[in-house]
Amino acid sequence: MILKSEALCKSFKRLVKDENGKRGATKQEEFYAVDHVDLEAGGGEVVGVLGPNGAGKTTLLRMLGCLMQPASGRVILKDDEGREINGSVEIKKHIGYLSGNTRLYQRLSARELMHTIADIYGMDEETQDKRIEEISEILDLSSFIDNRIERLSTGQTQRVSIARCLVHSPSVYIFDEPTLGLDILSSESIIDFMMGERDRGRTVLYSTHYMEEAQYLCDRILMMYKGRIVVEGTPEELMEKTATKNLRETFRKMIEEEI
Amino acid sequence: MNRRILISLYKKEILDILRDKKTILMMIVVPLILYPLLFFGAMYLTSSLINSDTERSYIIAYDEKTESEGVIEFFAERAPKHDYKLAYIKADISEFEAGVADVFISYRMIGGKAYYQIAYKAAETSSQTALSIAEKLMSEYREHLRSELFKKMALDEQAFMDPISFEHKDMSSKEENAGYLLGYIVPFLMITSILMGALYPAIDATAGEKERGTLETLLTLPVRNMELIAAKFAATSTVAVAAAILNMISMSLMGAYFYSTVAGSGGEVLNLLSYLPAVLIMLLCVIVFAMFASAVCLSACIFAKSFKEAQNYTTPVMLVFMICGMAGMIPALELDSTTALIPVVNISLLIASLFKLHFELSLIAMVLLSNVAYSLLAIVIMTRVFSSEQILFGDSAGGMKLLEGRKNMKKGQIPGVGDCVLLLSLLLLIILFAGSLLIVRFGSWGLIAEQFLIFFATSFYAWYIKADFKKLFMIKRPRVAAVIGGVIAWIGSYLIVQVLGYAIQQLFPEAFAAQQNDLVSIWGEDPLWLLVLSSALIPGICEEWAFRGFLLGSLKNRYKKLTAVILCGLIFGLFHLSPMQILLVSVFGLVMAVVAYESGSIFPTMLMHFLNNLSAVLISKYRDVLIEKYDWAEAVPLYAVFVMAALGALFTVAGLLLVIKKGSAKCTK
Repeated sequence: MILKSEALCKSFKRLVKDENGKRGATKQEEFYAVDHVDLEAGGGEVVGVLGPNGAGKTTLLRMLGCLMQPASGRVILKDDEGREINGSVEIKKHIGYLSGNTRLYQRLSARELMHTIADIYGMDEETQDKRIEEISEILDLSSFIDNRIERLSTGQTQRVSIARCLVHSPSVYIFDEPTLGLDILSSESIIDFMMGERDRGRTVLYSTHYMEEAQYLCDRILMMYKGRIVVEGTPEELMEKTATKNLRETFRKMIEEEI
Repeated sequence: MNRRILISLYKKEILDILRDKKTILMMIVVPLILYPLLFFGAMYLTSSLINSDTERSYIIAYDEKTESEGVIEFFAERAPKHDYKLAYIKADISEFEAGVADVFISYRMIGGKAYYQIAYKAAETSSQTALSIAEKLMSEYREHLRSELFKKMALDEQAFMDPISFEHKDMSSKEENAGYLLGYIVPFLMITSILMGALYPAIDATAGEKERGTLETLLTLPVRNMELIAAKFAATSTVAVAAAILNMISMSLMGAYFYSTVAGSGGEVLNLLSYLPAVLIMLLCVIVFAMFASAVCLSACIFAKSFKEAQNYTTPVMLVFMICGMAGMIPALELDSTTALIPVVNISLLIASLFKLHFELSLIAMVLLSNVAYSLLAIVIMTRVFSSEQILFGDSAGGMKLLEGRKNMKKGQIPGVGDCVLLLSLLLLIILFAGSLLIVRFGSWGLIAEQFLIFFATSFYAWYIKADFKKLFMIKRPRVAAVIGGVIAWIGSYLIVQVLGYAIQQLFPEAFAAQQNDLVSIWGEDPLWLLVLSSALIPGICEEWAFRGFLLGSLKNRYKKLTAVILCGLIFGLFHLSPMQILLVSVFGLVMAVVAYESGSIFPTMLMHFLNNLSAVLISKYRDVLIEKYDWAEAVPLYAVFVMAALGALFTVAGLLLVIKKGSAKCTK
């Protein structure tokens, strides 16, 4: 499946100093968190969205995941035959969305949570049981799957989080900083998971602040700054362009150029 | 709405709520343990107080003259007959003040008559009790002296003192009497317990989910806003109903215990079965009220970002509910066709009247239906006003521009649905409180003042959000055809309204007559010019300004034409706050909304509104004359009604066609 955006925009209001007003006066100003972004992510690739804090990564991913309505422009999802899928509810059925803000219901167990979600996706009970068994095996949940989520460790919780967005076997994953605050082992399992899904022909769109991780994982990188995509390419291309040895330096150099 | 999604969301909500210890505590522990504890505690306290009252002995102090008159001797002789334990001490007032006794009796002679003063201390319970004992004995002493006197004069005391006899007899059944007492306290307890039951899950399901970050997870799923809110509403209502039923059980158990002790000790035996219909209807009340309370709590909490903020928002809701819940205790307030429409008050009054064994089906239906309608309305508004995005990422109280600073307003904007809801609430308050007060106090002049308040509130709101007045209020010179069309459409709708009014009159003769009398009493004896001014000309301008101006101007920008005009008409009807008028006024409001929409000008409808109210004023002013002259038959022949309806439809359609007329300048979006 192919996820595309056309001239995607989102504006917010913020308070700024009012130059003409009294001392200390503020006024509201509209600014673009995401400014006419066109992107395309096809099957079998991991696309990294990088950028400093406040660049608009989260807003962009939220719009792509149909959690937010764009101010203008649109999100397009095409299936393998090139047919367009219409409506945000329909698009959501093919997307697995995960971010630091998508927390879990603490008082449910992982199994109950997955059953609830599978119900919402309209899966019948037999399929549900089978799918949950499968996921439990992939992510090694079996030892704690029936415990309430509030009793799980951070790493276990993160695995359940991933399990949550796997239930409906999505074709496109949107992960907003999935490895934030995790130890090496937990991050590695997530990275392995993303690579595995890529090899299965799924599309992964993800944002991160860890450059080494992005360099290792991403097939393509979109660098965002002030709501716009300033540069796009494979990690190698970007490093070549800026004549740097690693993505960390590439990132620094590009942001400095932009400023 | 997808039923399957709704059910799975509902199941999730219920599971989530039931596993929360705090909710369980509020739901089960409070009614099942705290209430009986409070009840038995109070009983124990009262009985121990009563016991200590009778067992205690009181000290009566007296001065020398009182003793020499023989009062104390009489007291000492009589007190044992009443089981009063009294001790006597001779003292003076300063010793009494120092605390040697509970009361102090002194004697004086005033105008040849013996005068006793019983000094006591109102701030001391024992002194108060001693006072009542002393007063009782004192009046017995007076009777004793009187009998002596009659005897001495050889007269028949009975014939002198009681030339006649009378008594009273209670014709209420024992059940009605007990119900009267129950009706006092049950509505309040019921309303409070339902509110408590709804409050916590409502906060938890909205602000709680936002705070815990699970709402965003929920929104990654293919779920529609309506499904989300409907599931939360259903879950909250379920918990509220469960809490209320637990409360009912707890209360009935206590009642049963109390009753069995009273009946066991020779008290009155009630026919408990006679309360069965009341209890069954009360169950229905519990369900609809739980829906209403849930809808209100959810509406309040959905603004909040955190638990704490939600609690702040729900505090005023709680206060209003509790105060309205006491309506059942106000003796002058009765359930009628008006109070049946006031939320919370109607439930309180209905439960109270049920226990008095009054069953008026039409009122019961009105209370139940209005609660369901209010809940659904709240839910629909909630889903419309708040998109999932606003719930999640938006600022609190989004959608209402009045809550933002004026300097941040864009020029020439159109009010949103949130603005309409806010303005309408404001107007409702003006009409309900300021308006009724002004009209009662100043009659026609009060009516004028109320209309001006409506006008200014609407204008202020539009000014504050920097709306384009010309566009919003459709200030435009109408075409001549539109004006003529409007007048013809008015004649048509007037006929239709008369036919509908006739039908309603046949269905609910009493309520309709009461309504007519209300109107006449408002208009009273004022001169005709004042009536025309206050009831026709000014409402024609001010109400149109608010409803066909602000409201329609905003609605037509959000909704399709049909939805906009129907909503506008219906809200206009509802605003007349009288169940008999809703339909009639809505029809008229609908026709006016179409005229305003199609002509793009507010002036034709102002004229229509004026003509309509003018005819009402004239007819009611000259009602007696008209009745005398034309000798209106009691029953209008059926064919006449049909002819009138047909003519009405014809005129309306013709008028509207004139207004619509192809190629005319329609109102600009």
